[in-house]
Amino acid sequence: MGNQYVEMGLSAPVNVTWEVTYACNLSCIHCLSDAGVKRRGELTTDQCIRIIDTLAAMKVFQFNIGGGEPFMRPDFLDLMDHAHEKGMVTCISTNGTFIDDDVAGRLNNPLVYIQVSLEGATPASNDAIRGRGSFQKVIAALGCLQKRNIEVSINTVLTRRNFNELDRMTELAARYGAKLRVSRFRPSGRGKASWSQLNVDKEQMLAFSDWLNRHLAVSTGDSFFSVSTEERRSLGLNMCGACKLTCCISPEGNVYPCAFLQDQEFLAGRLPGDDFADIWENSPVFHSFRRLEIKSCESCHRFDLCHGGCPAIAYHTQRKLGVPDPGCLANCVSVKPIVREVA
Amino acid sequence: MQVREEKFGLLFYDYRGPRLYFVPTKNLIGNDFFDGSHTAEGLIESIRTRHRQSRQSSQQWVLQVLTMLEQKGLVHG
Repeated sequence: MGNQYVEMGLSAPVNVTWEVTYACNLSCIHCLSDAGVKRRGELTTDQCIRIIDTLAAMKVFQFNIGGGEPFMRPDFLDLMDHAHEKGMVTCISTNGTFIDDDVAGRLNNPLVYIQVSLEGATPASNDAIRGRGSFQKVIAALGCLQKRNIEVSINTVLTRRNFNELDRMTELAARYGAKLRVSRFRPSGRGKASWSQLNVDKEQMLAFSDWLNRHLAVSTGDSFFSVSTEERRSLGLNMCGACKLTCCISPEGNVYPCAFLQDQEFLAGRLPGDDFADIWENSPVFHSFRRLEIKSCESCHRFDLCHGGCPAIAYHTQRKLGVPDPGCLANCVSVKPIVREVA
Repeated sequence: MQVREEKFGLLFYDYRGPRLYFVPTKNLIGNDFFDGSHTAEGLIESIRTRHRQSRQSSQQWVLQVLTMLEQKGLVHG
C-alpha cells in the first residue's frame, strides 16, 4: 500500500461507510449500531440523493452500505440505482432476509457487491446470535444471488461461539459461490453489552491469526491488521484508514471517522447541511485522527504490519486514543473493558 | 477500474480487489482529462500544450506512464 501517498492526504475518501437506517427486522446481540427501530431525524430520500451527488462529484469510489438493515428503507434500491448511475460502486451489507428473486434481479449490476451476514455454519450457532429462522433465510438469499452470479461474500463477526466453525463456514460460502469475510467484533452498540460474552480470548486470537495465514482467500476488510502477518501483508491495509481513506455517515447524516466511533466527541459534521469536502479537508476531529500516533507501539517489531491496530477497540476498552489495540499479536495486552458488562 | 487525480498523481481503484494503485505522475495529466473519454493522441497533445513540451518528450512521458501502469497490471499492452 502506498502509505506515503495516503499520508500526503487524499482529496476525498476512497470509500465511505454509510449506515442508511437504524431500522432492522433482526435483533442481533452484537449489533454495532444498536439497530432496531427507525429513529427520528434519519435522512430523507432527497437528502440521500444530495449526499450521493456530492460524494460522486468528489470522485469517492465506493459506498459501503450498512445499517440497521438497508432494505428496511422503502427507497433503498432507488438510492442504489442513483449511486450506480453516478458510477459509484456499492458494497451492501445486509442480513439477507429481504433478498428474493425480484430483489436479486434489481441487484444484478456489476457495480454491486453484497455482504450477507451469518454468524455460524449451522442454524443453532447462527440463530443464537441473529435470531430464530435467520439462518434459513440467509441460505435462501444466497441461492437467489448465486442464480444471478452476483458477487457475494458471507460476512461473519469473529466470536468465541463461531471460532471453531470457520472451516465449515468457508465450505458453506464456497457452496454458494461466495467468499468468506471475517470481521472483528468491536464493543460498540449492543457489542458493549455482549463483549465479555462473545469476544475471543488471547489464545483464540493467536489461533485465528494462524488460521488466516492458511486461508489467504478469506478476506478481513480492514478489521484484523492488528493480527496481520507477513503472509497477508499484500492483502489489505496495514493501518487504520479512518479519516485517511474512509469515514462514516450515520443514518441522520452525522459524519464520523468510522462506524465504530460514533460518540459525540468524534462528530465531524452533519450532512447534507455541512459541506462534505470541508469536513474531509478541515474538520478538527479528522485532523487529530490523521495525526494520531501510538507511540508505545513504534518500537515494536510488528509496527510496520499494524501501526498500533484499531483505535476504535483501543478507545472502547480504555476510553482513550493513542493506546495500543488490546488484540495486538505482539503483546496481546489483556485489557479489561471499561464498557458495561452483561449482568 | 476507476481513477482520479491526487496530489501525487493518479489513484486507481480496482473494486473487485478491492485494491488501490498509486501512480506518481504528479501534475502531468490535467484534471479535465478525467471527464469523458479521450484518445492517447489527445493525451499527448494536452500534455504538450499544458507543459509546453515537444511532441517527442510528451510521447516519452506518456510511454513512461503506460509502462508504470502495465507493471502494476492496470493496462495490458
